[in-house]
Amino acid sequence: MTDPASLSHLSDLPPEMLEFTILKSTTALAPRLGRVSLPGRKDILTPGFLGNTSRGAIPHISQDNFRKCVGLNGIYVPIEDFIEKMPHQTPPVFQINGSDPLRRFIALPKDRLLVLGARRNPPIPSPAANTNTEVALLTSVGFRSMSSEYYTAAARKLQPDIVVGLADIPFGQEAVGTRRKDKMSDRTETWMRDLIAKRNTIDKEESRYSIFAPILPIERDLQSWYLEHLVDDMADKIQGVGIYDSFLLDSLPEELHHLPRLSFDTPSSPQALLRQIDLGMDLFTVPFISDASDAGIALNFTFPAPRKFSDEPNSRQSLGIDMWQTEHALSMTTLTETCKCYACTKHHRAYIQHLLSAKEMLGWVLIQIHNHTILDSFFAGIRHSIENGTFEEDFTDFNAYYEPTLPEKTGQGPRVRGYQFKSADHGKPAKKNPKAFRQLNGEVKLHAIHGQQPNKKPEVGDMIDDAALVGLIDIEYMGPEIGVEGLDLKDHKA
Amino acid sequence: MAPVPMPSALTFELLGKCSVTKARAATLILPHGPVPLPIFMPVATQASLKGLTPEQLEDQGCKLCLNNTYHLGLKPGQATLDAIGGAHKFQSWPHNILTDSGGFQMVSLLKLAKVTEEGVQFLSPHDGTPMLLTPEHSISLQNSIGSDIIMQLDDVIATTSPDLARMTEAMERSVRWLDRCIQAHKYPERQNLFCIIQGGLDLDLRRRCTAEMVARGTPGIAIGGLSGGEEKDAYCKVVDTCTGLLPEKKPRYVMGVGYPEDLVVSVALGADMFDCVWPTRTARFGNAITHQGVLNLRNAAYAEDFGPIEDGCECICCRSQEIGGLGITRAYIYHVTAKETVGAHLLTMHNVYYQLNLMKRVREAIMEDRYPAFLRKFFRQLHDDKSKYPNWAVDALRGVGVDLMSD
Repeated sequence: MTDPASLSHLSDLPPEMLEFTILKSTTALAPRLGRVSLPGRKDILTPGFLGNTSRGAIPHISQDNFRKCVGLNGIYVPIEDFIEKMPHQTPPVFQINGSDPLRRFIALPKDRLLVLGARRNPPIPSPAANTNTEVALLTSVGFRSMSSEYYTAAARKLQPDIVVGLADIPFGQEAVGTRRKDKMSDRTETWMRDLIAKRNTIDKEESRYSIFAPILPIERDLQSWYLEHLVDDMADKIQGVGIYDSFLLDSLPEELHHLPRLSFDTPSSPQALLRQIDLGMDLFTVPFISDASDAGIALNFTFPAPRKFSDEPNSRQSLGIDMWQTEHALSMTTLTETCKCYACTKHHRAYIQHLLSAKEMLGWVLIQIHNHTILDSFFAGIRHSIENGTFEEDFTDFNAYYEPTLPEKTGQGPRVRGYQFKSADHGKPAKKNPKAFRQLNGEVKLHAIHGQQPNKKPEVGDMIDDAALVGLIDIEYMGPEIGVEGLDLKDHKA
Repeated sequence: MAPVPMPSALTFELLGKCSVTKARAATLILPHGPVPLPIFMPVATQASLKGLTPEQLEDQGCKLCLNNTYHLGLKPGQATLDAIGGAHKFQSWPHNILTDSGGFQMVSLLKLAKVTEEGVQFLSPHDGTPMLLTPEHSISLQNSIGSDIIMQLDDVIATTSPDLARMTEAMERSVRWLDRCIQAHKYPERQNLFCIIQGGLDLDLRRRCTAEMVARGTPGIAIGGLSGGEEKDAYCKVVDTCTGLLPEKKPRYVMGVGYPEDLVVSVALGADMFDCVWPTRTARFGNAITHQGVLNLRNAAYAEDFGPIEDGCECICCRSQEIGGLGITRAYIYHVTAKETVGAHLLTMHNVYYQLNLMKRVREAIMEDRYPAFLRKFFRQLHDDKSKYPNWAVDALRGVGVDLMSD
C-alpha cells in the first residue's frame, strides 16, 4: 500500500522525521494496525489515542501523576490555550529560551509525542468568521483571530513533534454554501503551503516538526483541488492527515493512504470510536473521557465485550458507572473489576462516591486516571482484535452488549470555563448519516458568553462555581478576608 | 482531684533542646508510625487533601495529617465509617491521622450554635433540624474514625471576647467535658486523647486550666482557642505561659497555626505541633509560600517568570527535570491557576512541601543547638530590612533569649 516513490523522498528527510509503519491492513475502508514512531519518543501503536490537554495538562492530572498513573505516549495541545496575550503582547510561551520550549513549559516528559493544533478538541464555535489570512480562536479571555503567519511562526518556535495544519472550517455554522466550501479548500491549501514553507526555513540540524494536513469535512469534489495539490505538490512534505469527518475517509486520495490519520471527528461514545476505526482511522483524542470524569462517571467497558449471558437477552450493560449514586457509599470494591489503575488498586467506590458528594477535587482526579486506563485497555483490545482478524465480529458483539450511549450525567462537575465548553452531543447516539457540518461541532449553541452551558436539565446544570474549581468547596470554612471576590477572573469578559 | 492514670498509645522521645529558647526536637511514635517533632500537619478536611492523592501527600514528606470530625460525621457519616473500618481505610492513608473534636467547626461554621452544659446544639446543615454534639458523641465519632490522635470536645469562644465570666465558664466547662471525654473514650490503648487548654487571653485562666488538665494525664496537650484574630503579642504570651507549665515529656499542640513566622516563633516558645488550612487554601488562590514570603502567582508579573516557584526548593514541582522533578515554572502556575484544577494541585504540593521542609530544618537546627541563628536567618530572608520585622515576633523571641535586632 505504501507508495515507493514517497518512501524514497522520506529517506531524504532528516532522520528525526516521523515514521508510520502499517503493520496490518486489508482494504481501503477497513481497520488497520500501525505504529507511529519518532526517534527519542515512545512509539504509539494504532489505533490509539493522545491525551487531550487543556492549558498544557490533561484535566485533573497533574504532571507528576501523568508520569506515574497515566500510560499515554502522546498528547494533543491546542495553541489557543497559550496565546490569550496576543495581539498586544507576546504570549509568554514564546519567550522561553532554549530548545523544546512548549514541552518544558508544560512539563511533558521528553519521550512523549507532542502534537500541536490550532483549536481545542472539540472547538468552540467563534462568532467571528475566518478570513483569507486568519482563523478565529477562543482563548481563555475571549475570541481572537490568528493569522497563518502567526501559526507557522509559533510552530517553528515551539518545536512540537507534529503540527496539524490550519483548516478553514466555519465551526458552528449549520449550513455552508458551496462558495464558502470553495473558500475553505483554497484557504486551507494556502495555509498548508505556508506551514511547509516555514519548515523549509529550519536548518537541517534543528529539529523539524512533522506536518499533518487537514482533510476538510466537505464532499470530495468540493475540495478536489486542495486534495490534488496535496497529492501532487505536498505528499512528500506531509507526514499525516487530520480528518474532520470520518465518513469522508473513502474520499481520501489513495496516494495519502500510507499516512497516519488523526481524527478530529469528535467521537461521542466508544461505539463512535469503533465506527471510525472500522473505517481505518488510526489516532484519536477522546474528549468524552474528561467529560465522563467531570460528570463523575467511571467508564466501564472492555473490547471485546465480555460474553453475553443468555438468560438476559435484552438487557444491555451500561458503559459507565455513575459514581454520584449513594448505592456506592458502602462499597469497598474497585471501580471496575479487573482494572489495574491507581484508583482501582489503591481506592474503592465508597471513597470516590464520598469525594464527589463532598465535591473534593480528588474525586475527579481518581476517575480521570481510571477512565484513561479504561481507554488504554480498550484500544489495546481493539488492536488485538484487528490482529486476530475478529474486529468486525467483536464490534457487532460490543454493540449488542453495551448501551449505545454513555450514562446521563446526574451530579455536578467542576466549574466550566468558557473555553472548556463541551460538545453537547456527547452521550447521544452517533447519527448514521449526519450532515458533514452537524457532526463537527455537535449541537453546541452558545446562547450567551456568560459561562452557562446549555443543558437539557437546568436543575442539574453545570455548576458555575469558582469555589468548585479552585477546590474551595468548604467555602463556609473560610475567613472573611479571603473570598471568591478576591479572584480576579478575566474570563468571559471579552 | 487526683490524676487518673491514663493509658497512652504514643511514645514521646525528646531528642534535643535549644540551649537558649524553649524549642525542643523530638520523635513522636504513634500507632501508624513515628513522626518528627516539631511538625506541621496539613489539613485533609474531608478525608482528602485538596486534590492530592494520598501518595502525593506522602511524597511531600507527610506522615501525619488532619481530618475534621465534624465534616466526616456529616459525610460519609459514622455508620459508613464503622462499616468501612475507619478513616485510614476509607482514604487509603497508611500514616497517622489527627482529628479535631468538631466543636470548633460548630462555632465557626454555624452561627446558630448554642453551647449548654450538655453539649453544642446546632441546626443540621442538611435539613435544619436541631442537633446536639456532646463530648460523648464527639469521642464516639472519633473512635469510629480511628484517628491516632483525637481531641476532646471543648467550649470554644473567640479569644477576643471581653466577657470574662463567659470565658471562665467556657474554661471550666472544657475541663468538665474533658472528664466526660476520658470516660467515653473506648480505645485509649490505640487512640491518643489530647486535652485542650482554654481560657482565652487571660493568663490566670490559662494557668488554672493547664493545672486542671495536666492533672488528667492525657497523652498529649493542646492549646486551643487561639488563632482567632487576637493580637499576636497576646497569642505569644498564652503559648509561653502554657508551655511553661506543661510536662516536658508530652507533645504540645497549638491548634490552628500555620504562617511560617508563627511556626518558628511558637517553636521557640516550646510548642511542638501545628495545623492550619492556610497553606493549602492559599495555594488554590495561586499563592506560593517561599522563604521570601508569599507570592501571588496570579499576578501578571509572573506571567513571564520562567524560574521555579522558589529557587532552590526541592519539591517535585520546583526541582528541574534533569534531577527528576517537573521543572514547573512560575509562569506555568500563572498559566493554569484558577483555570485548571491542576494549578491548585501543583501549588498545594509546593506549599505542603514548604511547610514540612521548614519544620524539618527547624528540627535539625534545634538538634544541632543552633536555633537562635536559624531564627535570625529566617527573619533576614523573609524581610529585607530589620525595620520590617514584626514587633510581636521580636518581643516574643526576646522573651526567650533571642534578640533579632542585634547581630
